[in-house]
Amino acid sequence: MMLRFLTRSLTATALVIVAASACHRGEGLDASKLPENIRADYDVFAHKCSKCHSLARPLTANITDDEQWVLYVNRMRRQPASGISYPDQEAILRFLRYYAADLRRIQAEKNGGAPVPAHSGQSPPVPSPPAPSAPPAAPAGTVDGGGT
Amino acid sequence: MRSARVLVVALATLLAALAALATPASAIERNFAGSAQLDYQFVPTARSAKANPSTFDGFTMEFAGKLAVDFSERVSANMKVCYGCHGFEADMMYFDVRVADELNFRVGRFSPSFGAFNLRHDPANHRLSDKPLAYDMGRMLRMRQWNQGVLPSPFPDNGLEVNGTKWLGTSVQFDYAAYAVSGFKADPKSLDIDFKQSRTPSAYYVDDNARPTFGGRMALTFKVGETSDLTLGLSGMYGTYDPNNEQSYAIIGGDATLRLDKTNIRAEYLGRRTEFSTSDRTVFKYVVADERGDFSMKHGAYLEVEQALTPDLDLLGRVDGMFRVGNVESASELSRRSSVFRYTLGTAYAIERGLRIKFSTELWEFSDRDALTGRKVELSMHTALAGSF
Repeated sequence: MMLRFLTRSLTATALVIVAASACHRGEGLDASKLPENIRADYDVFAHKCSKCHSLARPLTANITDDEQWVLYVNRMRRQPASGISYPDQEAILRFLRYYAADLRRIQAEKNGGAPVPAHSGQSPPVPSPPAPSAPPAAPAGTVDGGGT
Repeated sequence: MRSARVLVVALATLLAALAALATPASAIERNFAGSAQLDYQFVPTARSAKANPSTFDGFTMEFAGKLAVDFSERVSANMKVCYGCHGFEADMMYFDVRVADELNFRVGRFSPSFGAFNLRHDPANHRLSDKPLAYDMGRMLRMRQWNQGVLPSPFPDNGLEVNGTKWLGTSVQFDYAAYAVSGFKADPKSLDIDFKQSRTPSAYYVDDNARPTFGGRMALTFKVGETSDLTLGLSGMYGTYDPNNEQSYAIIGGDATLRLDKTNIRAEYLGRRTEFSTSDRTVFKYVVADERGDFSMKHGAYLEVEQALTPDLDLLGRVDGMFRVGNVESASELSRRSSVFRYTLGTAYAIERGLRIKFSTELWEFSDRDALTGRKVELSMHTALAGSF
């Protein structure tokens, strides 16, 4: 009886997964659709941030404020055994700033108005995702943001 | 009375430090996150037991909402409320006051740092429906006979924790934590910890004795490659659980987590030594030994392999078990030496961003026969939908 149940449950599992994969969207982002210069940063983000929680957590947090990302990632870096070093944090923040800019652009398109600033009173409107040419600087007053 | 005064002074000092450190942030940042899991556990071997009260054979639902607030670069607060089999509970209600990465004060209600699994205890953060047996909080078969796991997770408690993290060079991360919390509870002359007393409204925020439970954890994480790391940790906890401070418990744990690219291998051991009262020897199933007859040992361990087959599909295998040695109460179905082993095979599939479907099959081997069915071997199957945001 045990063997029968085991076989059935494994078969059912396989069938549901096959059925689900026909209509799935997935947990993370499709890295091949990201700009080339952001892919390595996304890989660091995807690897480090999936250690303790699903990638949906940060990707659906709807955070568009760069300063909030700095505080958020700092909090995660300080988690025990996070494995997030300062260079990792820089890479993660580079991706998240790109992602936040993309969210702001989408929100602006929806609202039909000017994009939401990166963080209050600091950045000009960002019409499209910026190229992460330089390491992210910490917002004013942030002690250890950006891994510096 | 004196210890209460000391506690008040300590808290006042901490609040003053908090106020002094609270450099205003440019804006108070808030982040809300949540998760939910609906699980159906099918236990074909327990069907004949007619709703066996010590086995969930049906749906369980749990959800949690968490608010993280950064008041400044140094002060943050976390509030997490869960709803599950026990109704609403406060899983987190604490402040973090950070002097530096290496020195952080946590005060309020939180799960003290113990073991590796606790960080992932939220059902959205682990890929199987069930927690490892050593951390089980009620889904295990025969949970009442076993009085759950070694240290049911989460185990929120009220107190103070000092913790920190330090990178030694670029490839080694060192973490530590030391804490004093209320500790577990039970009635006088109990034979084991009563985990319900840690969550019942009548005793929820009140310690049952005047002595805190102390504990700590140390862990080293080695970066062994760009996408690989190894964490080794040691944890310990000691306190008394009865109102008279006569019965102690000590929990030790060791854990190793290896992440090799898309493969996670996790191993963990927990052991709890629990003293009990032998003043009434008639309540025991076995004759009480004069020497070393006043405590039980409960060991729990697991080895888990999680392999990502695609970015959205994980395959998991886990072997876990518990072994208990010591006298038991006369009505118990356990023996002086009882064991349970469980073999789990499962998958988790991300249907949508933030939504996973989980399947798992578990084969159980108990050393003792079930009183109703006479079975030693049981089978259970889980199907769950877990979401996070």
